[in-house]
Amino acid sequence: MSAVGSDTPRVDGNAKVSGAAQYTADIDLPGMLHAKALRSPHPHAKLVSIDVSKAAALPGVIAVVTRDDLNGLNPYYGAVVEDQPVLAMDRVRCVGDIVAAVAAEEREIAEEAVELIEVEYKPLPAVFDVVEAAQTGAPIIHEKRFETQAAIFREQLNLNAGGNVCSVFRAGDGDVDAGFAEADEVFENTYRMPPVQHGHIEPHVAAAVWESPNRLVVHTPCQNAVGLQEQLARIFNLPESGVRVVVPHVGGGYGGKTHARLEPVTALLARKAGRPVQWVLTREEVFLTGRRYGAFVRMKTGFKRDGSLVAREVEVFYDLGAYALSGPANAKTGSYVASGPYRVPNRRLTTYAVYTNLPPAGPYRGVGVPHVAWAYESEMDRIARHLGMDPVELRLKNLLQEGDVFVTGESLVSVGISDCLRQVASGIGWRGREEQGNGASEGSLRRGKGVAVIMKSTTTPTASAASVRLNGDGSVMLLTSSTEMGQGVRTCLAQIVAERLGFPVERVTVSAPDTDVTPYDKSTSSSRTTFHMGNAALRAAEEVREQLLEAGAQALEVDKADMELGAGGVRVKGVPDRSLTIPQLLRVKYGDSVGSIFGSCNFQVKGGLDPRTGKGKAAAFWFFSACGAEVEVDVETGKVRVVNVATSVDVGKAINPLQCGLQNEGSMLEALGAAFFEEMVFEQGQPVNGTLLEYMLPSMEDHPERFQSLLVETPHPDGPFGAKGVGEAVIPAVVPAIGNAVANALGGINITELPLRPERVVAALAEREAGVTGEQQP
Amino acid sequence: MRHLITANVNGRERELSVKSNQTLLEVLRDDLRLKGTREGCSVGVCGSCTVLVDGKPVSSCLMLASNAEGREVLTIEGLGAGNLDPVQQAFLDHQAFQCGFCTPGMIMAVKGLLNENPKPDEAEVRDYLSGNICRCGTYVEVMAAVEDLTRRNDNG
Repeated sequence: MSAVGSDTPRVDGNAKVSGAAQYTADIDLPGMLHAKALRSPHPHAKLVSIDVSKAAALPGVIAVVTRDDLNGLNPYYGAVVEDQPVLAMDRVRCVGDIVAAVAAEEREIAEEAVELIEVEYKPLPAVFDVVEAAQTGAPIIHEKRFETQAAIFREQLNLNAGGNVCSVFRAGDGDVDAGFAEADEVFENTYRMPPVQHGHIEPHVAAAVWESPNRLVVHTPCQNAVGLQEQLARIFNLPESGVRVVVPHVGGGYGGKTHARLEPVTALLARKAGRPVQWVLTREEVFLTGRRYGAFVRMKTGFKRDGSLVAREVEVFYDLGAYALSGPANAKTGSYVASGPYRVPNRRLTTYAVYTNLPPAGPYRGVGVPHVAWAYESEMDRIARHLGMDPVELRLKNLLQEGDVFVTGESLVSVGISDCLRQVASGIGWRGREEQGNGASEGSLRRGKGVAVIMKSTTTPTASAASVRLNGDGSVMLLTSSTEMGQGVRTCLAQIVAERLGFPVERVTVSAPDTDVTPYDKSTSSSRTTFHMGNAALRAAEEVREQLLEAGAQALEVDKADMELGAGGVRVKGVPDRSLTIPQLLRVKYGDSVGSIFGSCNFQVKGGLDPRTGKGKAAAFWFFSACGAEVEVDVETGKVRVVNVATSVDVGKAINPLQCGLQNEGSMLEALGAAFFEEMVFEQGQPVNGTLLEYMLPSMEDHPERFQSLLVETPHPDGPFGAKGVGEAVIPAVVPAIGNAVANALGGINITELPLRPERVVAALAEREAGVTGEQQP
Repeated sequence: MRHLITANVNGRERELSVKSNQTLLEVLRDDLRLKGTREGCSVGVCGSCTVLVDGKPVSSCLMLASNAEGREVLTIEGLGAGNLDPVQQAFLDHQAFQCGFCTPGMIMAVKGLLNENPKPDEAEVRDYLSGNICRCGTYVEVMAAVEDLTRRNDNG
């Protein structure tokens, strides 16, 4: 029996297909009230006055909160810098900023009450374009500079860069100017990636209740229970143990539920009302609550005629919106990989995290990497086309290899990227150089294939802790604050524990996060859980295993090395009848056959980068992936049909190959939406397509005709059983692979703005017809 | 204003007092506490709130509860009568879900599809289920589950 490496079915399967799985909106606490917020209609305005008297007088309204209710509390919070007020203080900074909130007996009453709140605003100049916002003279969005609680961010980020630039991060090596001088050719292009929605079908939601003035309980589908606990404790001046965060089933996260969003307001309402309060956001509010950063990328590349890259300079502006959340850290994540997974001897890579008067963004699968990958992989195809080289060969020539020293100064291990690229090339039937020639055509239909490769770090340094409890009946409980949000973490961790104890997976139950019970975890993000929590769970199980073997050796009077786990207990190796059951072992250990055996581990990865030099250890592990795509473009309508997509990830070791495949399928589909139609449109800061009627998510009809999820396994020396992360590995590679396929179908037109809507494709063709080549360099 | 209606919900005749503007989804979740039917978009495009009304899939967030008068409503809780329905079992067999939020709606839509067309081809499956969004992106497995059920229909 081997639990690790098998397609173990999901441990939460029955609850999910039966409908019994409880999500936060399904919670019904006794006496629970319903919340509704009054949100700013202005993108930037001074808050002159708020009058809630009529709302508070409405029958059924129990509590109304405004900035006045934050007296004596710490009103500002944030994951990296504390720049976001629980409720608007002196001004609002985006459409949707929360000005006041109501808790009432019924949803309808809360909605009616919100309409009765009178607010006087004084509009201020606003800025929406990320590059404009970064310039001197742009309207200032945050006048004061903010503190950060976490020493790690003070030490590792260049914060408060000035104006609307929240942070800047620089990485680099070599002599960039000399590199460009040495290059045979230099290309320079700009790319834009618009903001998109996470699109989790479960909206943001929370339920809060104060059990006493010093004890807050919050139920929320949060990817970061401990981080939220810390933030709520600070806002309300409580010890961390005074806040309990409980995470029920989670209806999708993709990064959108990593940080505090509506929990502080819900808790404030519950505090004032003295009753439980639940707040379920409407979909329109979800659109105002989170999104992926839009970004502007400027990329300059110097290369030799033989295809080797010699210099690269990249500048990226990430649009944070009104509040930073983890933006500065996410922009850092984009910086050092901005030259791609390539050997480039001379590079200067700079990323800026910039405030604008748009609703706040935040981490989304891939964080800062999709933006730069879209640029550098489009550039690779332009270079290949210019040189007449096979784009796959050009990449293979420049790709990083095992043991290479990266721009951060660290040596790379588990670098299966060349294999990933070969796999996807084969998966789409790549024929070589001719793929950039004239593809198959029939009438107005043109076929094209494209590939892309990426690398990404996992957030570092971090820690994850786990505790394993072996019960007297031989069943096992794993206590962990990792959030199951569909990615299969419960199943994966159960497999790891079962494998180490030699038990069937069914004997292992994995907890949901509950900060009263489950130990510290940095967060369920950055594809870090299998590696970090997997290691913690493995070592905690190892402690239990050691205790069992010791007790067995003592009782049977043999050497511990001669004992093994098996048959629901321990036995002497090769002597099956010399065995002990779990209750017998408990008797040996405790003198009675009751009790349980505990093991625990706090798994920590040290490291981080020096913000002055960009050097250090950026990642506990790196992930590498590739995507290949084949498309068919109708040159008359601009419509694109996706024929075939192949993705490949170096997962180190697939703990559960089936679940790895599902993660890649989901990443692929989210990226496919971003490639062709997903885009949050704002006009003067107002959302234009802020419902799921106007903003489409990919449906089954958009799914490629053929999809292959391929895996490479280059074991990581520090990973549990060699495993690395997989959750977001594929997503940055898919958009550029599709973009390159479309470019090849069009006979060499790389469109630089996303999404590749039909009108954009038609316009690009028309521009070429008209001989406008400005967009095409050279 | 309230209306007294009679509807069959999951095989049981229910007398319900519903408000004029109350949706079927609200009555199912808030009054009957059938929480397996979920709200995702409130405009009838995500499919999470799909239930069967007289055997046909309906977005319960768009249907007024008063229109359920005299009709048969089937939710995820009404499937299978103690055991798993073959559609639920097929979803388990093919691991056709991830976060599970859209799953009850997706299962009810598949139920509706097979009621109408026991042997749909792939294009028909894609078309019929295009109103049920799975953002986790588990469409290949849902299609495999439906194909499996269709094959069983072939054999039957």
